[in-house]
Amino acid sequence: MSNYVIETWDLSKQYNGKAGCKNITLQVPRGSVFGFLGQNGAGKSTFVRTMLGLLHPTAGKAVMLGHPIGTVESRQKVGYLPELFRYPDWLTGQQLLEHHAQLCGLSRSQGRAVIRDVLEQVGMAGRERERIRGYSKGMQQRIGIACALLSDPELIFLDEPTSALDPIGRKEVRELITRLRDQGKTIFLNSHLLSEMESVCNYVGIIHRSELVVHGDWRKLSSVAPQVELTVEAASFSAGEELPAFVTESRLLREAASRATWLLTLDQDNRVPALLQALVGRGAAVHEVVQKQQSLEEVFLYWVQKKEGEAHVADHENHV
Amino acid sequence: MWPIMKITYREMISKRIFTITILMSLAFLLLFGVATWYAAREMNESWGGRASDMLLQKNFFSTQLLGMGLYFGSFITALLAILSSVGSIAHEVESHQIDTWLARALPRHRYVLGKFGGLTSMLVLYALLMFLGILGINQWVGGGMLAVDVSAQQIGTSLGYFILMPVILVCVSLLLSSITTTVTGGIILIILYGISFIGGFVEQIGSILGENALINIGIISSLLFPTDSLFRQSTVALFEAAEDPISFASQGIFGTTSPPSQLMFFYTLFYGAATLALAVRLFGKRDV
Repeated sequence: MSNYVIETWDLSKQYNGKAGCKNITLQVPRGSVFGFLGQNGAGKSTFVRTMLGLLHPTAGKAVMLGHPIGTVESRQKVGYLPELFRYPDWLTGQQLLEHHAQLCGLSRSQGRAVIRDVLEQVGMAGRERERIRGYSKGMQQRIGIACALLSDPELIFLDEPTSALDPIGRKEVRELITRLRDQGKTIFLNSHLLSEMESVCNYVGIIHRSELVVHGDWRKLSSVAPQVELTVEAASFSAGEELPAFVTESRLLREAASRATWLLTLDQDNRVPALLQALVGRGAAVHEVVQKQQSLEEVFLYWVQKKEGEAHVADHENHV
Repeated sequence: MWPIMKITYREMISKRIFTITILMSLAFLLLFGVATWYAAREMNESWGGRASDMLLQKNFFSTQLLGMGLYFGSFITALLAILSSVGSIAHEVESHQIDTWLARALPRHRYVLGKFGGLTSMLVLYALLMFLGILGINQWVGGGMLAVDVSAQQIGTSLGYFILMPVILVCVSLLLSSITTTVTGGIILIILYGISFIGGFVEQIGSILGENALINIGIISSLLFPTDSLFRQSTVALFEAAEDPISFASQGIFGTTSPPSQLMFFYTLFYGAATLALAVRLFGKRDV
């Protein structure tokens, strides 16, 4: 069994040579929560819809759960919540789930048990006998997530799964995603809400203007050298002479009362113990050392701006 | 395929157009029954015991009245078939409702064939009840005066042609629904049905006048969309008795003086199968 549930090689879906997604080569590790990040219109949903066989790729190839995309086998153990979740509004929630359970090949009794379970998971138990046309947007999104979970999928695509939910609903969905990950399922999460993604995703792919910029463990995609915020007794520390060689840069952030806070840039992120030893050894009175962690937003912006810069240079060279 | 058929049934039943059509069909049958009852009473009073002397007139009126009922019946069956099927795929694509169905392990051909199975079985049932309702009124309400003398074999053959019409319409409708929008498909289908409808009349007029050009226009329109020829074949099968030297199938405004050939019937079957196959093929290739 492959370690990756999704592997793509130069996968493209373009409309008259424009937009969509272009030359996407990525791997999604099994059991991960993979966040696919990008601005509106970057090509996130196009990529997902191509993986699910709703769109036919214009170039490249891809494998999902060991089968080429577009085949029935590739979708056998896949759940999907679309961004534009629209369900037949003349059905009740229960009827919708029953139809999907039949499509998943579940028997009537299996279907009943699974439907009860997924309704509980998404907080819709007790509302399933109502018609979908009477559901709020948030309830429709919840019933959509229930649909996605019906087949006990190994891979679940959630395209903007919290777009219609209130803060409590969002928190519940984040907890659900974590639970699903703990069950060994892979979640492919499409979103541009970076703060939400940060707490649940371990892997990310960043797509910008149809092209994949970078992908991998997002904490390793950090663009900036490791940094610490050091708070010391101002009189006991002078940055100029007392810093070891692995501190490549130092900057005074603030001074309050007798304390000074410095931002130190290290050459490697495992230098903190050595830094502390060196400072104490040289008589510095250390109050606090905080290792700086880049947020997902900072990582995202760094890579997008880098890509923009490269595109700008390439454009300039083409004109010259 | 069965879940798609099942949801198609549910969808049809839930649509207001279906309820309205059922109610209006019942109203039509009621009106047809009342008209038949009054016509039978009038003929009874006018001709009374001379009915055997007036056999030709009696047969003419009874086939005309039944032919009119069947023509209207086929017309509303066609309208129901068009309105209920032309958006069956296109609307789901437009609204993205189809996404979650097709993201399942469901081959696209099964989706189209499931829609076909659901729509045709419902419409065939509707056409069957409509045909039997009209014929039943003619036989029982019309009584001795207006009941057309038909054998079980004639009814069976005529019914076969009658119920084939919505099947052909669904095939073409699914093709249009697979490749275009609901509105565009609806317009094309209604125009095609109109061409067939008018072409059928033009052909019959051409046959009466002996005008080959008009007959050819009718044949071309039938080749383009062969639903009218099915209605003609249905009435010919019902009214044309082998032992009767006088053809009542050729009389009056709904008469058929130029009956479609057997070849036309096979062409119609091929036409339906080919459009359905094309619908499956094109829908399999398109993006949704």
